[in-house]
Amino acid sequence: MTTPGYFLEVRDLKKYFQAGRPGWFSKSTRLVHAVDNVSLQLQRGEVIALVGESGCGKSTLALTLMGLEKPTEGTILFEGEDVTFADEKKLKALRQRIQMVFQDPYESLNPTQTIEEIVGEPLVVHDLGLGPAERRERVRRALEDAGLKPAEIYMHRFPHELSGGQRQRVVIAGALVLEPHLLLADEPVSMLDVSIRAEILNLLADLRKTRQISIIFITHDLGTVGYFADRIAVMYLGRIVETGKMREVLEDPQHPYTKALLSVIPVPNPRLRRERVILQGETPNPIDLPSGCRFHPRCPLAVERCKQEDPPYVRLSATHQTACWLVKEA
Amino acid sequence: MERRQYLLKKIGWSLFTILFVLVLNFFLFRILPGDPARAGVKDPRLKKEAIEAIQVRFGLDKPIINCFESLNPVKLGNCAINPLETQFFIYVGNLLRGELGISYHTNRPVAAILAERLWNTILLIGAGQILSIVVGVIFGIFAAWKARTVIDYGALLTSLLAWSLPTFWLGIILLFWGSAHGLPIGGKATPGMSSMPWTDQWADVFKHMLLPTLTYTIVYMGEYTLIMRSSLLDVLAEDYILTAKAKGLNTFQILKDHALKNAMLPLVTVIAINLGFTVAGALQIEAVFSWPGLGGAIYESVVRRDYPVLQGAFLLIAVAVILANLIADLTYSYLDPRVQSE
Amino acid sequence: MSAITESSKSKTQSTSPLLTFWRTFRRNPMALVGLIMLVIILLLAVFARQLAPYDVTSSANVSTADIYNPPGGAHLLGTDDAGKDVLSNFFFGARVSLIVGFFAAFISVFIGGVIGIVAGFYGGRVENILMRFTDIMLVIPDLPLMVVIVALTKPSLINIIFVIGLLGWTTTARIVRSQTLAVKSRKFVLRARAIGAGNFHIILHHILPLVMPLLVVNAILVISLAILNESALSFIGLGDPTALSWGQMLNFAFGRGAMSAGAWWALMVPGLGIVWVVLALTLLGHGLEQVLNPRLEFHHLEPGLPVVQDEARQAVARAEDGRPILLEVQNLSVNYVTAAKPPARAVENVSFQLREGELMGLVGESGCGKTTLMLALLRLLPPAGQIVGGKVWFMGQDLTAMDETELQNVRWNGISIVFQGAMNAFNPVRTVGEQIFEAIQKHTPILPGDKIEDRVSELLELVGISAEHKAHFPHQYSGGMRQRAMIAMALACNPSVVIADEPTTALDVMIQAQILELLDSLRKKLGLSIIFVTHDLGVVAEMCDSVLVMYGGVTAEYASVDTVYNAPRHPYTQELLKAFPDLSKLDKRLASIPGYPPRFDQLPPGCRFAPRCPQAVARCHEEQPALHRLEGKHVASCHLLET
Repeated sequence: MTTPGYFLEVRDLKKYFQAGRPGWFSKSTRLVHAVDNVSLQLQRGEVIALVGESGCGKSTLALTLMGLEKPTEGTILFEGEDVTFADEKKLKALRQRIQMVFQDPYESLNPTQTIEEIVGEPLVVHDLGLGPAERRERVRRALEDAGLKPAEIYMHRFPHELSGGQRQRVVIAGALVLEPHLLLADEPVSMLDVSIRAEILNLLADLRKTRQISIIFITHDLGTVGYFADRIAVMYLGRIVETGKMREVLEDPQHPYTKALLSVIPVPNPRLRRERVILQGETPNPIDLPSGCRFHPRCPLAVERCKQEDPPYVRLSATHQTACWLVKEA
Repeated sequence: MERRQYLLKKIGWSLFTILFVLVLNFFLFRILPGDPARAGVKDPRLKKEAIEAIQVRFGLDKPIINCFESLNPVKLGNCAINPLETQFFIYVGNLLRGELGISYHTNRPVAAILAERLWNTILLIGAGQILSIVVGVIFGIFAAWKARTVIDYGALLTSLLAWSLPTFWLGIILLFWGSAHGLPIGGKATPGMSSMPWTDQWADVFKHMLLPTLTYTIVYMGEYTLIMRSSLLDVLAEDYILTAKAKGLNTFQILKDHALKNAMLPLVTVIAINLGFTVAGALQIEAVFSWPGLGGAIYESVVRRDYPVLQGAFLLIAVAVILANLIADLTYSYLDPRVQSE
Repeated sequence: MSAITESSKSKTQSTSPLLTFWRTFRRNPMALVGLIMLVIILLLAVFARQLAPYDVTSSANVSTADIYNPPGGAHLLGTDDAGKDVLSNFFFGARVSLIVGFFAAFISVFIGGVIGIVAGFYGGRVENILMRFTDIMLVIPDLPLMVVIVALTKPSLINIIFVIGLLGWTTTARIVRSQTLAVKSRKFVLRARAIGAGNFHIILHHILPLVMPLLVVNAILVISLAILNESALSFIGLGDPTALSWGQMLNFAFGRGAMSAGAWWALMVPGLGIVWVVLALTLLGHGLEQVLNPRLEFHHLEPGLPVVQDEARQAVARAEDGRPILLEVQNLSVNYVTAAKPPARAVENVSFQLREGELMGLVGESGCGKTTLMLALLRLLPPAGQIVGGKVWFMGQDLTAMDETELQNVRWNGISIVFQGAMNAFNPVRTVGEQIFEAIQKHTPILPGDKIEDRVSELLELVGISAEHKAHFPHQYSGGMRQRAMIAMALACNPSVVIADEPTTALDVMIQAQILELLDSLRKKLGLSIIFVTHDLGVVAEMCDSVLVMYGGVTAEYASVDTVYNAPRHPYTQELLKAFPDLSKLDKRLASIPGYPPRFDQLPPGCRFAPRCPQAVARCHEEQPALHRLEGKHVASCHLLET
């Protein structure tokens, strides 16, 4: 059943990997539960932040949404169309509307291509029937939209001649050139210096306003999401543990994991030093999931029930929900 | 991965490779135009009884493998033959009994000829490998440690030059030089030495070995120097070397405890991969110095068109290299703790 | 939006293939010599007919008197066993050897390239089968196999080319496969998939261009191997009887009495021909590989440059509050000296004091000289780094005046370092326990082994790792555990000062918080003085006592943590604080600092921050500001503070 109006709807999405490489004689039966029952909705022009530590499944989720990984189970509806198990042809068409910005601007550009070739590549791949002049114009516009002005001085350069921030702009220009409706930004600023980060975040915020692009912003840093995310989804071990409007999650976090994540964000003011909730241990590996609530071994508040039963989502408001036995329905 | 599982896997693949070589060996000699068994029967040097013996031994009247001939519709009828009576199984059966045929040239069993020669080759390759590795490693260490100095450039150019020398030609040049300086010009021992005391015999063998081993060492030392040098340069630029230095260790301690073992790892891989090439070197050296080894056997059998010896020597060399490779692999897994958990 | 005005110098970098070619060879004399040697021999081979003094194809007019004539007179390089002119044979032999080498190598490289790319790119079963086959072919000794095949077939040139070509592809396949795997795992291939590119497009536009250079270098090696193999086959007597290659010449000379005749020329000339070509190819290949794969310019055991000694100054023993000063840095300057360029001024005129028990934050963006400064303290700079001024006093001793042996006693014992990215800071082939053990043994050699073992266990427990892990190798630790172990190792010799160089970069937020908490508790428990190097202003605010903000190699601002955060005076500090996300001000747009930090070899003439400074005046672009002392110990380097 399609809920009308949603731009992107993900229902009960699962992505399991086989653990280890299956050998010639042995079949591996152990599964990595990278994404486990994730549901998510997104409206046109909305920005959602997927927050979690490494290994929580946020990057796998993004790759699955892009069709770069085949989902194990579940449904993905994009602009009213079921794209869950799309074939190659459908996927290619889909990729004109969904684009991705990668984390590492040093690695995501081919060092042997010029900036013009990099940014223009999607136009060539999708063979939109553009002439060279038209193509050049589209590349120029994308570069300038990404803040590389005037575009002409960058077009013939190679990636190694640009700084980190400029490279990330080239990556963004390459994603914009097809005029996508949805942008998946996988940790777009985590490799950049603090003084450059703000520029890239502001650029993404502007693009969303001027072009009505929806953005899925993937990050491990709750500190940076506040500036332009409408909604936040916090992931832990393949599941969304809390989701809500940006202010609901940041100002009134309910799940103990969200609370801990928020408390360890450093505050740039020595007068506001405060008690932090530091979780002990490390995220367990997603092969042998803990019983019950998957967060209970590290949860400072866990009770007996948490060890046995997986908590369902508790609705706190129309938009805010969390999966925790200790939170009561509003 | 479990260590035991790793070992079993490596051993399994070596056995598979040996099987592959057996099959390859069989087909090369039966299918290529030179077909030794058939050609051998026509060899004028053989007596009639010997020809018949060969025909029975190789089952030349039998099909090559079951149904192989049936690809030819005229011979379709032969298809139903007992697979154990095909030439291939006779070949495998002979191998399992250690029978490699009879030399056309000397009329002696090939296995007996090769058995004598195997040890000579192992002696030559062993001595040459050890020397070239030792020299290469030492040169490589100095070149890397004293990077971008005269020592480094000297070692680099010397190794590149050594690498570029054709083995047999270097052998010829050394032989030319050696014969002018009273060194023996070939073979493993001076005829008639067997009546002398064993110390003299050993000294005689040593004298004969000098030039072949020197040739071998020069040719392979270059490559080992280059690999040791580049591998040590990489290691010395690693962060953990800086850590060691920050811990207050001195240069000697850092080289001994942190750099050498790590730098040796790529060398072990290369030694393993190179075993096939080293045999090529031994072949040429034995040909030049008439060293009575397996390579020499190959050279002589080519000159004399003595195919059973050629076939047997190739098989023995291939199997020996595969086994040596297995040993190198296992050594590597012992040296590098990361291998087992891959 | 920002105006981006970074180094417009490299605006019109021409990259025509010819120019790239020239640049490649100009930078590498080895490759250039190889190329010239190769061109010479190619010319000789091409113009053999014109250059050869005799027609070697006719066997007329040869008498026994012509055999093995020494060089000189009518035959510049003598005659061979058949009375032919060796020089002429040499020219024609070059043709045969080069033809076999090039054609056989072409076959090998083509097969190896295709197998390598297909195996590496498609992976799975395809890769498994192809690489198993390659491994098997690699193990089978190739020359004996070639001998067998050529002996059984006709030894014609075509056969020899095919046999060498069809058996010589294994190393190419392995190298190409691993390079393909490496390229395939890079993010730009994922990006190409994400824009919808198909496999063929990706192989052609993303894999091949990055595999190509390696393939060229490998091809050069394969050519030289093919030439060597051809000569060996010919020498054994399996050469094409109608085409006289160099190997064939040697075969005839060796087999037909050149040795006993003393005809060294018949043996030397063709042999030197082979050496010439193979050496040319080797030099070319080796040189190109260096261009392709430039190693780091240095390694850690090269001797460094001598310290430029400053005039002696007195160290301050005690701070104003009476606490002893452990470490005092006075006007330290470090240059990176390269032969070609003017020295890069990576650290200039930096001073600070570290009191007992103090935690000082050293903050700056990547490439601002913080790590250089820390390495300079213990004189661990890479060989090109040179201390060109200033003093480092540690507990009354001048570290800049010490010799290497004295320094070794201070390192780790007095000042230890927790390195960034502990993955590479541990030796991967030795256990963590051994590496801690070694540090203790070095500095307290009289301690018996079992006591040291106890101490290792104690240290690991101290940082929250159970002692049984000491027998494990670094790769068996998780990232957080490695960083803890690194801290344990830093504490091994009870140092008074610990330098923590970005100890939490690349760790997850929660692990990061755990490590910070650990450091803070250890400081309180053991009374350590810590210099905490980081780019994260938030972390500094959370735990430090004082802060030194560096920008482009100089001190921007140095003061107590409260002053820096609540009353910053340098525009860089002010802007940086505005650019830092603050959860208490969610509605505000993040401020950004347009532009990029300067490169040390292209420093602006005036203040290093001036190009990005919103308050810069004309003077800032012309003149370097001095450090101004404000109230107390607060210093900042800005012209605007002068009035």
